[in-house]
Amino acid sequence: MSKIWAIAFNTFKEAVRNRILYILLVFALLIMASSGIVGELTISARERIITDLGITSINFFGLLIAIFVGIGLVYNELDKKTIYTIVTKPIDRHQFLIGKYLGLLLTIYINILIMVFFFLAVIYYQGYMDFDVMSKALWVEQANGEWASPTVISYFMYYAKAIVFSLAKAFGTLTLLYHSPLTQGILLVVFYGCLELAIITGFAILYSSFSTPTLSAMLTVLTFIIGRLNADIIVFADRMKEKGFETSTQKMKYIFAWVAAHVTPNLWLFNRRTSLAVDNVEIRLEAYPVLYGILYSAAILYLAVHIFRKRNFK
Amino acid sequence: MPIPIVQTRNLTKIYVRDVIGTEFGRLKIRLKNRKVAALKSLDLDVNEGEIFGLLGPNGAGKTTAIKVLMGLIFATEGTATLMGKPLGDKSVKASIGFLPENPYFYDYLKGYEFLNYYGQLYGMSAAARRKKIPELLELVGLSHAEDLPLKGYSKGMLQRAGLAQALLNDPKIVFLDEPQSGLDPFGRKEIRDLILSLKEKGATVFFSSHILADAEVICDRVAILSKGRLMNVGAMDEILSARIKAYEIEAMNLSEDMVSELEKMSERFIRRTKTVLFVVEKEEIALAIVKKIIASPGHLVSYTPRRETLEEFFIRNIEPQNV
Ligand SMILES: Nc1ncnc2c1ncn2[C@@H]1O[C@H](COP(=O)(O)OP(=O)(O)OP(=O)(O)O)[C@@H](O)[C@H]1O
Ligand SMILES: [Mg+2]
Repeated sequence: MSKIWAIAFNTFKEAVRNRILYILLVFALLIMASSGIVGELTISARERIITDLGITSINFFGLLIAIFVGIGLVYNELDKKTIYTIVTKPIDRHQFLIGKYLGLLLTIYINILIMVFFFLAVIYYQGYMDFDVMSKALWVEQANGEWASPTVISYFMYYAKAIVFSLAKAFGTLTLLYHSPLTQGILLVVFYGCLELAIITGFAILYSSFSTPTLSAMLTVLTFIIGRLNADIIVFADRMKEKGFETSTQKMKYIFAWVAAHVTPNLWLFNRRTSLAVDNVEIRLEAYPVLYGILYSAAILYLAVHIFRKRNFK
Repeated sequence: MPIPIVQTRNLTKIYVRDVIGTEFGRLKIRLKNRKVAALKSLDLDVNEGEIFGLLGPNGAGKTTAIKVLMGLIFATEGTATLMGKPLGDKSVKASIGFLPENPYFYDYLKGYEFLNYYGQLYGMSAAARRKKIPELLELVGLSHAEDLPLKGYSKGMLQRAGLAQALLNDPKIVFLDEPQSGLDPFGRKEIRDLILSLKEKGATVFFSSHILADAEVICDRVAILSKGRLMNVGAMDEILSARIKAYEIEAMNLSEDMVSELEKMSERFIRRTKTVLFVVEKEEIALAIVKKIIASPGHLVSYTPRRETLEEFFIRNIEPQNV
């Protein structure tokens, strides 16, 4: 086990020393920061826009990292022959692959953690930028009943306080010490997204264990798309069945759709962003998606190991 | 008979490459299988504690043999054991060191980090790594580069780093695929000394090489491969001494008449700045030449019966392979 961690940690190190990761991260943070300056809207409208944009970009950049780092992970080792001196050490090939997988997952999750932290801070910051809240804090009623207009310094102090408090609250939320109903929901949505990424990362590694990076990237994206459409395919298949089959091609189509829907991951399970937008839907932690995510990832990884174990490293 | 620490029987490797090609110059793309028999029915026994050289021209199958033994590729046919156990046994892997040909490592790691990571893979404790790594860096002459990322290493430095990682676990068997490639003459000598010191410590060294002169000096036994087939195996003097010897006679201050007379008797003649050198194949003629030199006013500088070198053996026995 300690050897798997050594490999995982080294994979993490590799990613961290790769410039692409920083470019992706900075880009994601910029998008979130820019969402914080949407014009004169009510707080709840602003929060909705920011939430939507934030969660979408967290998912999207997580996916980008999974695909772009994941597809090269195994291929580069073979291509540069760095693997020669790894698998000849007293480790098994499956330990190598699992270590790589966990290392990539660690990389993705730490990036997501940074993004979520930033994202939460932007959300909390909105609370301070509300007109009423701001004027209450800045305009002081004097003894003679007049209102003293705020000075530059008091403005500065207010913004500084807003930033520091937002960051502190974001930190508190991540450590589960502090939350608002909205941020609790956000954390859960992101958590479900992480489960989805565990599956996608597994696929990226599976594909890259037998094909080239370009092909793996295409296959991974395809898997993601089919996975997201999975629920629709099931509905489609059921509807075909209800209508009954007149020709054998129809039956074939049904079987094909059914198999496709049940073999590909049902990623719809993990997409909870839309429920967050509807105020009265409460997002809960459910056992089924969690188990599904873990077991599906494990199955994919098992398949990857199976292929990898028999490979000739030429 | 000692038990062989490395044993192969009928080891055969056929590479199958899928080649996408066009047929008869027409644009008809099809998948062809191109087969290359890189190793043909190899039987080898390497004894514990010896320095074993695997020699052969480019494309002979040396790397293939080592890769099969290391479990990187799987043999098409035949079997092999290391330390009496089948390939891939983890306890065996723990006492093996391996330096691949033209090694390449994670270039984002610094020298020290790299060895530290590999030490973890060997399952060494943190304390053992802290002790071993500086020793090894010193041994391979990389102490000055421990904080330099491998990206910044020269070819020879990488080769040294590779050697260090192969020795982390004080291996019982060390497999070195062309350990001297990319090294300058000092480095080559250091490797030679290192291999000898490994043997002194009781390790078995299995290495492949092109540098025949070095192999000749250090190997207890060699195997000679050509086109995937084992041509010869045995102690160096068994392989070489049975063959023709040449006699080299070096002399100085000979009169020109004398020189031309002796030149006629010898197979080869080389004029050097101060001396002349006669090379003859037959012992009687060599002795006759020596007698004449001694009887003349000139001086005999040296008389050397010379064994065939490995290089000559190679050139005589093995045609270069069309790779
Ligand atoms: N991955 C591969 N796919 C197909 N053929 C290969 C592959 N690797 C090696 N070969 C072929 O196998 C034969 C033996 O190659 P190998 O690398 O074992 O030779 P070698 O003795 O190590 O040569 P060198 O001294 O040049 O390192 C060659 O003919 C080579 O073309
Ligand atoms: Mg080779």
